[in-house]
Amino acid sequence: MSELTGKERISRQLKHLPVDRIGVFEAFWQYTMRNWENQGKVPPNACPVEHFGLDMLLCEPCNMRIHPQAQDQVISEDEDTVTLLDGNGATLRRHKKHDTTPEHVDFSIKERKQWLELAKPFLTADTATRLNREAYRKARQRAAEKGLFFCWVGVNVFELMHPICGHENMLLGMALDPEWIEDMVNTYSELILQLQQELFAAEGPPDGIWYWDDMGFRGRPFMSPDMYRELIMPAHRKTIDYAHSLGLPVIMHSCGFIEPLLPYMVEAGIDALQAIEIKAGMDLLRIDKQFGEKIALIGGLDARPIANNDLPGITRELESKIPIVKKNRGFIMHSDHSIPESTEYETYLYFKETGLKLGTY
Amino acid sequence: MTDFAALQAAVLKGNRNDVKDIVQQAIDNQEDINAILDRGMIPAMREIGERFSRNEAYVPELLIAARAMQAGLTLLEPLIAASGRKTLGKVAVGTVKGDLHDIGKNLVAIMLKGAGYDVLDLGVNCDIGKFEEAVAQGASILACSSLLTTTMPYMKEVVEHFKGRKVKIIIGGAPVTQDYADEIGADGYGEDANGAVKIVDKLFQEA
Repeated sequence: MSELTGKERISRQLKHLPVDRIGVFEAFWQYTMRNWENQGKVPPNACPVEHFGLDMLLCEPCNMRIHPQAQDQVISEDEDTVTLLDGNGATLRRHKKHDTTPEHVDFSIKERKQWLELAKPFLTADTATRLNREAYRKARQRAAEKGLFFCWVGVNVFELMHPICGHENMLLGMALDPEWIEDMVNTYSELILQLQQELFAAEGPPDGIWYWDDMGFRGRPFMSPDMYRELIMPAHRKTIDYAHSLGLPVIMHSCGFIEPLLPYMVEAGIDALQAIEIKAGMDLLRIDKQFGEKIALIGGLDARPIANNDLPGITRELESKIPIVKKNRGFIMHSDHSIPESTEYETYLYFKETGLKLGTY
Repeated sequence: MTDFAALQAAVLKGNRNDVKDIVQQAIDNQEDINAILDRGMIPAMREIGERFSRNEAYVPELLIAARAMQAGLTLLEPLIAASGRKTLGKVAVGTVKGDLHDIGKNLVAIMLKGAGYDVLDLGVNCDIGKFEEAVAQGASILACSSLLTTTMPYMKEVVEHFKGRKVKIIIGGAPVTQDYADEIGADGYGEDANGAVKIVDKLFQEA
């Protein structure tokens, strides 16, 4: 088969159709790219997609904060961390050098009453403040010029709720006040759809939809499969159904061990699962065996040998997985989370090139 | 006569009001404080931990059980202090320096408290100085959490700093494994929050 464009390749892989080689995509920590930039390995402000020849381009054009225009207020700061009050009324302490989950210091919203007063009335589809049309338009155009698969990216309901009230309050609410959670889920899913409708009508649709919704941690999901089905799945189904009504495939990113939820996520209609985080207990080969004919799989390649610049370890990881998972034609190469700052530039190139060699049909 | 089975069931179901009612009634009936804790609330929290390990209970169920137990403890605390009851031991929990993740660490703290330990929650981004302060406050075990591969090496620094001293170090977190615990010479590894309770039980029994 002659060489396909990224758009052709990913579009076909999401339908399990024959391709020239497996697709490739990746997430890099902010400081990973900056390190490589400082070492002169990548040009200043380089786009990793174009620099490394990846197949997909993502754009997150929707601002889903309660107060989309509110600037983060610095509450305190030390050498390593900064504590901010954000547009969701959440006080979060962030590490200055890591793009990871912040410490949850406090939340203005802890239960239904505060949600009704402080959040719900403001979560309207005010497209002037919530949509970055220009960023979407430019990214869409660039993807078309470069032949990349272009995804609208946004957060789905589970990950929209906890930034306003924190995991603990949200999970307590799921057990103690499910009607409150249902109200939040409905409000956010409606808002997602309204913003997508407006944006796609004005600027044209993307090639696919990519939702972030981290629902697990090490060894287990945050909630039981029953609770997922009752409270979260209806919103997943609704937002996925809308994408499908436009002919758009849906990629769902979910960190942590979410395998017990996966049968219901597939039932809700996902076309691809992304991340497949090994250190949380996910196993690419097991998931491929169970679900590989139904959905595409993106990720599941252990980032730890990459982070340790362990080239023999990378080779073992790739050789033990890619020849097997490529058989379903729906495997897209990606680490099981992201490329951390300890990774050397040459290590990532080795990972990508070795993987694609193994993934060529 | 206190219905300990009903108290256990109320904690397991996370029924805070029932826990308050049963505990208040027990207090009014001058029930032995130790019995309320050791035959009622603590076994229930240990049971929810076991269910959590077996994936029969998830974080919401664990949180509401802990909330229900706390409601009972609030009523009991003045009496516990007056009774001179000793806890099973003092454990400090903290996420190590460079790491701000707190959910896993919080779950460990909740489960240890529910199991009957005195817990010092050191928060996140804990350097060796913070762990030293905990030891000065009587912590016999330091439970170190890390979610990032980049912050795991700080656990080794903690282990090496306290090497040769009486305090024990246990570790846990998403990227952490038993192999890593062995490699750095930690005294134990908890696979999850309930696993942390089990390793703390074991270390106190051995002490």
